[in-house]
Amino acid sequence: MKKIFVSSVVWVVALLVGALTLASSHEPKHPVAEKAAPRRQVQVPIKDFSLTDHTGTPFRFSSMRGKVVLVAFVYTTCPDVCPLITASMQSVQRSLNGRERESVRFLSITTDPEIDSPEILKSYAGRYEVDLSNWSFLTGDLKTLQPVWKAFGVKVERKARGLVNHTALTALIDGGGTMRFAYFGASPDPQKVLQDIRALLARP
Amino acid sequence: MFSARLLPGFFVSLLLAACGPSERMETIYAQRCLGCHGTSGRGDGPIAPSLPVGVPDFRETVRARNVFQIRKVIKEGKGIMPAFSPALGNPEVQDMVRMVRVVSQQGREIAWWEKFEPLVWAHCSVPWEFVLGYDQPPQEKGP
Repeated sequence: MKKIFVSSVVWVVALLVGALTLASSHEPKHPVAEKAAPRRQVQVPIKDFSLTDHTGTPFRFSSMRGKVVLVAFVYTTCPDVCPLITASMQSVQRSLNGRERESVRFLSITTDPEIDSPEILKSYAGRYEVDLSNWSFLTGDLKTLQPVWKAFGVKVERKARGLVNHTALTALIDGGGTMRFAYFGASPDPQKVLQDIRALLARP
Repeated sequence: MFSARLLPGFFVSLLLAACGPSERMETIYAQRCLGCHGTSGRGDGPIAPSLPVGVPDFRETVRARNVFQIRKVIKEGKGIMPAFSPALGNPEVQDMVRMVRVVSQQGREIAWWEKFEPLVWAHCSVPWEFVLGYDQPPQEKGP
């Protein structure tokens, strides 16, 4: 009888301690710092590459020749910079007039091929309500993507499944396939990007 | 003194006592949620002001929704919130659900029964089959 009583007391005390511990307040660690997006003028020719777009169709970078291309490096489970980059690109896309839209393309290249299949990229674009008429989300296997990241100077480091550190780069490519502007950081200023796009369209 | 019969109960009790927000729960919240939702769940994380849409204060929505609804949002995403199911397994998603419940209770008067909600979580987290020996292989009989 005494043993049952002791056992019951141990259970009740432990349950209460567990409840109070979990109900007490907690301050999760480290806020994510927002980064600025400095803009640099560059001259980096980008070699042709092949990836797969969000519909599962093969994509060749050389098919973009003659167009001004805004390229960003993001991944779909990214909880910090990528939503800002995609939102900024979307703002640029919406600001283009009808004639400009025909001469400008948008590319989002994944930095996490382990997760980002064409279906997942399509679903990501859908949640952002992206106009996919001139925007492609691109993926591929790791071996195919690594040289692409390298060509743009993007460093990618896998931290955990669905968590990747990568250079927050948005790049503007001219009609000849040369990177002309690089915006580093979370929020490329849509107005500045738009201004640069118009400059390239006017003086390719 | 404790008898051998009391030992399993004692260890299970210790396990329950240790069922507070774990390091893993806090880490996963900090890594995947805090940037937008902030430490308090108010939607005041450091990147929230730069997003094209406002981040909702999840304290009230979490309170009003059941676990399955919260889990669905975490797994499938909503608007520009990432869908975490391709990357995270059920234990991690469960950690996120538990953590947003904990965060949503901070700084407000909670009903008496909500204080005991962790007990339900703790109870659900115990591998009862293992504790109670349901999954032990049958002992082979000797010749």
